[in-house]
Amino acid sequence: MNLLDDLGTVLSSSLRLTAPLAFAACGEYLAERAGTLNISVEAMMLGAAFSSVAVAGATGSATTGLAAGVLTGALIGLIHGNLAHRLTINTFVVGLVLNALVLGLTSFLIAGATFGSRPPQRWPLLLLPGIVLLTWWLVERSRWGLELRAVGENPRAADMTGIRVGLRRRQALLWCGALAGLGGAYLAVGEVGSFNQNMTAGRGYLVIAAVIFGGWRLGRTLVGCAVFGLADALRLALPALGVTLNSQLLIAAPYLLALLAMVLFATRHRRPRALGKPFVRQEP
Amino acid sequence: MGALTLRGITKRYGTVVACDAVDLDVERGEIHGLLGENGAGKSTLMRILLGLETRDAGTILRDGRPVTAGSPREAVALGIGMVHQHFSLVEPLTVWENVILGDTGRIRRSRACAEIHEMSQRYGLPVDPLATVASLSAGERQRVELIKCLRRDPAVLILDEPTSVLTRAESAELFAVLRRVVRSEGRAVVLISHKLAEITAATDRVTVLRHGRVVFRSATAATDVAELARQMVGREVADAAALGLIPAAPHVPEKAQGDPALRIRGLTAPGLTGIDLEVRPGEIAGLYGAEGNGQAQIGDVLCGLVTPDAGTVEVGGVPVDLRTPGALHTAGLGIVPEDRHRAAVVPAMSVAANLTMKDLGTRVWLDRRRLRRRARELAAEFGVVATSLDAPLSSLSGGNQQRVVLARELSGDPRVLVLAQPTQGLDVGAAEDLHERLRRCAHDGMAVLLISTEIEEVLGLADRVLVIASGRVAGELHAAEATPEQLGMLVGGGAG
Ligand SMILES: Nc1ncnc2c1ncn2[C@@H]1O[C@H](COP(=O)(O)OP(=O)(O)OP(=O)(O)O)[C@@H](O)[C@H]1O
Ligand SMILES: [Mg+2]
Repeated sequence: MNLLDDLGTVLSSSLRLTAPLAFAACGEYLAERAGTLNISVEAMMLGAAFSSVAVAGATGSATTGLAAGVLTGALIGLIHGNLAHRLTINTFVVGLVLNALVLGLTSFLIAGATFGSRPPQRWPLLLLPGIVLLTWWLVERSRWGLELRAVGENPRAADMTGIRVGLRRRQALLWCGALAGLGGAYLAVGEVGSFNQNMTAGRGYLVIAAVIFGGWRLGRTLVGCAVFGLADALRLALPALGVTLNSQLLIAAPYLLALLAMVLFATRHRRPRALGKPFVRQEP
Repeated sequence: MGALTLRGITKRYGTVVACDAVDLDVERGEIHGLLGENGAGKSTLMRILLGLETRDAGTILRDGRPVTAGSPREAVALGIGMVHQHFSLVEPLTVWENVILGDTGRIRRSRACAEIHEMSQRYGLPVDPLATVASLSAGERQRVELIKCLRRDPAVLILDEPTSVLTRAESAELFAVLRRVVRSEGRAVVLISHKLAEITAATDRVTVLRHGRVVFRSATAATDVAELARQMVGREVADAAALGLIPAAPHVPEKAQGDPALRIRGLTAPGLTGIDLEVRPGEIAGLYGAEGNGQAQIGDVLCGLVTPDAGTVEVGGVPVDLRTPGALHTAGLGIVPEDRHRAAVVPAMSVAANLTMKDLGTRVWLDRRRLRRRARELAAEFGVVATSLDAPLSSLSGGNQQRVVLARELSGDPRVLVLAQPTQGLDVGAAEDLHERLRRCAHDGMAVLLISTEIEEVLGLADRVLVIASGRVAGELHAAEATPEQLGMLVGGGAG
C-alpha cells in the first residue's frame, strides 16, 4: 500500500468521524454560552441515532430519518430544559437520568427489532459549514444570542433588564438538542448505516470536553472535535496499517486524549460565569 | 397629581414586616430622598415598584392611574426605571451591548453607539460605547447604568444607594446629572442613600422609614442631618463621622507604644508599588485616598485574594507566608474586605453559618449547639436583623449583610484588624456603633488599619493618616495636623 493513500483514507475518515461531534458541539457551545450545562448531549445523540435508523428503515428515506433524529434530539432538549429551567431540578441529575434512560430504552428497543443495514449517506456533511456559521452568527450577532450570553454571564442582571432567563435557556437547549440530534443521526444514518447498542459510546461527553477546552470559543471547540475525530480515525486505521495494539486500549484513546487536552488547554478564562448555576428570582 | 403615589404598601417575609402600610408621594420635577436604617424596607419597596417582588397589600398609582408591574419589563413600560444597589451590568459584554439589552428588534451597533454618544453629550455622562464593562471603574459603570436607564425614558427614576461606591467627585457629577434630568425633563427621582450630607444637599423632599413604616416626612430645606439621623434610628447620633460631617475638633490620638503589630514592607503587586506601612498596637491608622488608587489591592493582598510580586507582611513581628491560604488569619489578622459579596460571605448559606464560619472549633465534628448559641449572641450584639438565623444570608438587607461580616471578623478578637470601607452601606446608627467599637478595640490594644475613601471617617477615627495615591504612599500626617485641605493636596499631588 501507498503511504499517501493511507494518509488520504485516514483524513477522510477523520473528517467523517469529526462531523457528528462538530454538529453536536455547535449546539452544546450555544447552550453553554447561555449558562446551561447539559450532559444530556449523549442522550440526545444516542436517541437521535436510534430514531433516525428506525424511521429511515420504516420510510426508506434517509432524509426523513435525519429529520426524525433532529426532532428526537430537540425533544430531549425540551425535556431537559423544562426539568432544569422551569422546575429547577439540578441540571446534572437531569442529564444523568436522561442518559441512563435513553441508553436503556434504545438497548431494549434494538433487542426486539431489526432495521437492517442501509448504505451510508454522506451528503449531510455539506450542512456543517452552514451550521457552524449560523451558530456563530446567532451567538455573536443576533439579539437572541446577545441575550443568551447575558443570561449565561449574569442571569440576575438579565432578569432585571426584562429578559426571561428560563425561557432563553430552554430555547438554547432546544437548539442544542436539534444539533446534537443531527450529529447522532448523521453518525447512524450517514456514516454507519445501522444502529448498534450504545453506538455513540460517550461521544456526547467528548463534545462537552471540546467546548470546555475550546475555552467557550466556537473555532477552538471545532478544532477539539477534529482532534477527537482524527484520533478515532487513527484507531480504526492502525490494524489495516499493520500496527497491532490492544483494541480495548485503543477505544479508550480519544477519551485519554480528551483528558490530556483538558489538563493542558482548559482555561476557565472565558467560562460563562453562571455556567451550570440555576436561576431563581429572589435575593435583595 | 403625583408622578408616583404609593398607598398602604405592605410586604411580609414570614414574621418580618418589611413594608408596613407605606404611603409615598413623588412629584414630577423633584428628587425625593428615601431614608431608613438597615432593613427598614427601602429596597423591598423599590423592588415591589419594579415588579421584582409582589406586594401583600396596597396600591401603586402612576399619574393617578392604578398600576402593577409584574416584571421589570412591565415596569419599564409603566415608566419606572431603576439603578440598583449592586450593579446590574453584564461584565464581559461591551457598554453598547449592555445598553441595548432588553430591547427588541434587530441589533444595530453603529446606531446604538451613536445613541449612547448623543446621550453622553446631553447628560454629561462621558463613556466609551465600545469598552468592555469589566474594564470600567465604578463611576463609569454607574454612568452606563444611568444611560441604560434614561434611554428607556422613565418618568420615575429610582436609585438605590448609587453613591456607595463612587468618589466624592463622581457623586457630585451624578447629582448634577440628576438635577438636570429632573428640572429640564420633568422626571421624578427617588434617591436612597445612607449618606445624610448627600441627601440634604441633593433632594427636595425626604421620607424616612423605620421598621417598614413611614415615620417622618419633610421638605429637605426644613430639616437637617441631625434630625434625619434621629428619625432614622430613633436616637441622637453624636458621631460626626457617621453623619458624614468633618469633625469640629481635631482628633486627639492616644499614645500608641510598642513594636508594630502589622508591618508591611515594599509591597508590590498589580496596582501597588513599594508600599511601606506600620500599625502599632492601640492605634487606628487610616489609609486614605480616592477610589482606584490601590486601596482595594491592599485589601485583596491582605485577604489572600492576590499574591504580591514582592514585599513582606509581618504580623506581631513574624513574617507571614502569603501563599498559604488562611495564613494571615492564623497569624491573628482579621479583615473586612471591600467587596464583601465576592470575598467575605457565602450568600446561599445561612446567617448562622456565615457568622461562625471562622470559629468552627478544632474538633472533627461541629458542635452545632455551641455554634448556634455563638451565632445568636453575635447577631444580638451587632444588631443583625433577620427573619431567622437559618435564613440564607442573601435574604438579608444590604446593611445587615455587612453587619454579619463585621460581627464575624471583630468577634475573633484579632491582634490586627484591617477594614476596607467598613461603613459602606451601613445606616448612621450602625456606623456610629462601629466607630465606637473600633475606638474601644484600639483602646484595648488592637492594631487597626482603616482603609477608606471617606475623608470624614478618616479624620474622625484615625490617629495617623497615610495617604495613598497611584499605588504609592504619598504622605503621612498625624491626626492633629491632618486637615481636609492637607489630605486633599496629598491625594491630588500623588495622582498628578
Ligand atoms: N427575600 C427575602 N426573604 C426574607 N426576608 C427578606 C427578603 N428580602 C428582604 N427581607 C427582609 O426585609 C427587611 C427589609 O429589607 P430591605 O432590603 O428592604 O432593607 P433596606 O431598607 O433596603 O436596608 P439596607 O439599608 O440595609 O439596604 C429586612 O429585614 C430583610 O431581612
Ligand atoms: Mg437596601
